[in-house]
Amino acid sequence: MATPTLTETLDLSAKFPGAVTADARPGYTGWIVEAGKLLEVAAFLRDEMGYDLLSSVTGVDYLPDEKMEVVYQAYKTTGGPGIFFKVQAPRLDPIEVPSVVPIWPGADLQEREIWDLYGVKFTGHPDLRRILTWEGFSGHPMRKDWKEAFYEEDAKPFKSRWPEGRIKMAEERNPFGDNVTFDEGFDPEKWTSNDPEEALYTSLKKYTAETSDGIKTDHILVNMGPQHPSTHGVFRAVVILDGETVVSLKPVMGYLHRNHEKIGERNTFLQNMPYTDRLDYFNSMSNNWGYALAVEKLMGVAVPERAEYIRVIMAELSRIQNHLIWTGMMLNDLGAYFTPALYAFEERELILDIFEAVAGSRMMCNYFRFGGLARDLPEGTLEKIKDLVFDRLAAKVDEFDRLLTENEILVARLKGISKLSPEDAVAYSMTGPVLRAAGVPYDIRRAEPYGIYDRFDFDVVTQTDGDMYARYLVRLEEMRQSLRILRQAIAGLPEGPIITGKPQYQVRVPAGEAYGRIEAPKGELGYYVISNGKPNPWRYHVRAPSFINLTALEKMCVGGKIADFVAILGTIDIVLGELDR
Amino acid sequence: MTVDLILFLILALVAVATAAGMLFSRNAVYSALFLVLNFASIAVFYLLLGAPFIAMAQITVYAGAIMVLFLFVIMLLGAEQLAPIKVLPWQRPLAIGLAAVLVAETAYLLILRAKPAADIIPPAETVNTLGELQRLGMALFNQYLLPFEVTSILLLVAMVGAIVLTKREKGERE
Amino acid sequence: MIWEWLIKALVLIFTLLIGFGYLTYYERRALAFIQSRLGPNRAGPQGLMQWMADAVKLIFKEELTPDNAYKLVFFLSPVVTMVPSIVIAAVIPWGPPVTLFGQTFNQYVADINVGILYLMSIASIAVYGIVLAGWSSNNKYAMMGGLRSSAQMISYELTLGLSFVVVILMAGSMSLVEIVEAQREVTWFAVIQPVGAILFFIATLAEVNRHPFDMPEAEQEIVAGYHTEYSGMKFALFFMAEYQKMIVISAIMTTLFFGGYLGPGVDRFPWLGPLYMAIKIIILLFFMIWVRASWPRIRYNRLMAFGWKVMLPLALALVFITATGILLADTMGNPWLMAIIPVLSLIAGWIATLMVDRSLRRKSYA
Repeated sequence: MATPTLTETLDLSAKFPGAVTADARPGYTGWIVEAGKLLEVAAFLRDEMGYDLLSSVTGVDYLPDEKMEVVYQAYKTTGGPGIFFKVQAPRLDPIEVPSVVPIWPGADLQEREIWDLYGVKFTGHPDLRRILTWEGFSGHPMRKDWKEAFYEEDAKPFKSRWPEGRIKMAEERNPFGDNVTFDEGFDPEKWTSNDPEEALYTSLKKYTAETSDGIKTDHILVNMGPQHPSTHGVFRAVVILDGETVVSLKPVMGYLHRNHEKIGERNTFLQNMPYTDRLDYFNSMSNNWGYALAVEKLMGVAVPERAEYIRVIMAELSRIQNHLIWTGMMLNDLGAYFTPALYAFEERELILDIFEAVAGSRMMCNYFRFGGLARDLPEGTLEKIKDLVFDRLAAKVDEFDRLLTENEILVARLKGISKLSPEDAVAYSMTGPVLRAAGVPYDIRRAEPYGIYDRFDFDVVTQTDGDMYARYLVRLEEMRQSLRILRQAIAGLPEGPIITGKPQYQVRVPAGEAYGRIEAPKGELGYYVISNGKPNPWRYHVRAPSFINLTALEKMCVGGKIADFVAILGTIDIVLGELDR
Repeated sequence: MTVDLILFLILALVAVATAAGMLFSRNAVYSALFLVLNFASIAVFYLLLGAPFIAMAQITVYAGAIMVLFLFVIMLLGAEQLAPIKVLPWQRPLAIGLAAVLVAETAYLLILRAKPAADIIPPAETVNTLGELQRLGMALFNQYLLPFEVTSILLLVAMVGAIVLTKREKGERE
Repeated sequence: MIWEWLIKALVLIFTLLIGFGYLTYYERRALAFIQSRLGPNRAGPQGLMQWMADAVKLIFKEELTPDNAYKLVFFLSPVVTMVPSIVIAAVIPWGPPVTLFGQTFNQYVADINVGILYLMSIASIAVYGIVLAGWSSNNKYAMMGGLRSSAQMISYELTLGLSFVVVILMAGSMSLVEIVEAQREVTWFAVIQPVGAILFFIATLAEVNRHPFDMPEAEQEIVAGYHTEYSGMKFALFFMAEYQKMIVISAIMTTLFFGGYLGPGVDRFPWLGPLYMAIKIIILLFFMIWVRASWPRIRYNRLMAFGWKVMLPLALALVFITATGILLADTMGNPWLMAIIPVLSLIAGWIATLMVDRSLRRKSYA
């Protein structure tokens, strides 16, 4: 697969002489922008060049060069390749970079994440607080010189694990002890939740001031979560209510944060593959694909035909089961007592049977490899897939349609609520079904086809209303389109090898950067991988759709009822494993 | 007769105690609850008097509907704890004076005007039949039709007034 | 005399308690059946002892009382919820009089001439337990549950009351026994007033906080609503109250609209009365379970709008239609004129459905 050259049509350095230079490092593309000119360049890109969707913002710590870099990836919703641009700042405290939230509000949560994990201060950010780690956390854990508790070595495989052939407990021998540090004046024993939460609550208060009305009623501050039945895990939303109406809302996350990206940077490239399964544990197949795509771009390997077809089959099956489960769980959020969810589970089990047959595992599939797949389809699996695709699933999707779409309560709960205009959806970097429900026909399978999606005939499903009902309809129709792709893929499945070259434990990845993105069921799933030629990635970043789609949560919920909040969270379709990383 | 008397005494005690409790409770919710108990004991009085319809209506309307609304409002406003109220200087003497007048009136009526009990309380048999209920209906909708309707219009006006007062004008502010 | 009452009351209470146990079992099996799974089938044959295992579990669970709860009210409110749900059953007739040991017994605890008002007043008292539980827990979810339930119950009691009025008009009495006997002469009131029966069913769903009107304990929104902070037996009391209310309200509905204990051969074998009652109750309960299995919950403000803007006007129209029909039949002396009641009320119901449908088709609403 040819990686399109990102810069062929646009010469930013000519437009902004002195402020923008081409990134000339070997293996790198894009532009390096002067911090002071960032907003100007960003506005130019968005308004004049049409790069309206800021896909991903992330930080990279170039410790040896004493530089901190912030990488922006912007795309056009009309399709085509994107543009990378970077801001470099000297690695001194405080590292300051202007915030692009005024241009792309979708950068909000991502910039907070970079502040949290890298300690880059975004000047002009409206609400710069820690997001994944807790208030009171000391240090910025993604920095290369940050050592976590029970730190051993920088990169796996840890040689310390078998000195002289003897295995020692890691805790026994690491020189850093438990390595837990705290800020000056911070005593964990005396910590009460009030002080660090103060920032969170004051960030809400400014909204309450606006709503003072003729009749004054008490606003109730409710912490929905982290223990709450319908936040899909340990997610917390701080909500201010006027009666039942949501006046203000802030998402609080990170309860499942495990610094997935740091673990990824310790691992070797291949060791990372099973880790990606754990992100969105409903769709490990798609997660694998995004990561494989990024590393394959770096390695420059091609994927054999048969493997490409099987990849498509697995990804689309994964999409169908995700959307099925979404429909069931969504109805659960609306208060239906598990019936739709169990109907969905019935079908999902059949799809998981197939995953189990090919990968050996039902949820954590770990099936993709760089340049192909781990194994070929076992005997009889294709027949099972055919049965499902040609007979059963189509009928089941129709059954869901028949049972749910016209249900009066469902319509009353979903229609016209949490409307998101296409402009807002794009500005907030929404992707996936939520964006398409707002009427933006943006599907990476069509906008920038990866794998062999350019060979298939399918429709990008859109709706115009942008409300929750539209999101439901989009997902329902996407299942049908996935079945359409599956039928073509099964018909075209060739014989042949399933991996390029010999399967190997250690891959050689040339230095450089690559951004592999796929249309995961929940939205754009991107992996930004930087290699410096060593066995471990220098930077491994996940652009998680669950995380970034939450940026607009507040906008969607304010003015609605508390019951709507639950439904809206449901329609965004988040998975906490991916959200908190 | 003695059973009735004992019941009456107990109920009277409960009624007075709950009324006092309502007055002296510092927590508005407790006050409301005491009032509910008070209504309930009054309903039992009606039962003792052989007027089950009034008793049930008392419970349904006062305890079941009105006091629930009271509780609703108290909870909605979060006004459980009464703020210390400034007592107006003339309030207490006035209250005592008015109470004295009330007691005097009641005593006067009770002593001088009260008829023998047999005259007031109709025999239980006639009350506890459907006929009595029908008579009540007849009285309400024939003899006292005008007051009845005026009362209902008054309530309607109050309701409309409440809505007008709270409703925002169109386009005023969303 | 007093012993007769006492024994009847005890029998009633035990029937309700055991009925509660088997209702939970029935509901779980029926839900499982609808959801293509098995449901509890381990404890005892076919899982019939499941409710006992659950009860034992709940009794031995730790009971927590939040520090900032209003302790006395917190302790009392499960009781306040539980008592009305049993007491309300006192006026329901379970069968025609039976002769036992040479004596005639009535199959009800009490027959008071204001039976329906008694039902109304006890039903209106029942809300206190929930509201107080919500308030005394000192928990925001519980508080919202309590608020929701009080608003909801007040709103739906009006419809409930007007449905009662429809029945009173048709039966000419407030006594439940006489209402049942009145249905012997004509036919089930559900046939004369089908829309009234449906309205009553919907209003009772809201009264007992069942799907799709279970706002006060909407798990997805406010965790468990008013009983968020309750555990162990205190929680079990709420649970019991809810299920007993389901049974009792189905019994009331049977009495008012489905001929109560009436059925073929009930005059000759009066013991068939309770059996017919039970069958009718079980069928009505299945509808409640079926609704729970199939429908999502409607939103709180729409519930209120539905109650005030659809149910209440429709119930008023039904009272008007019924009264007109009865008056016509009386003055013309032709009982067949009663047939205009079902016709007109079905038309009214149809118009109401159209209105709901039209509001759903609107592009946007808050």
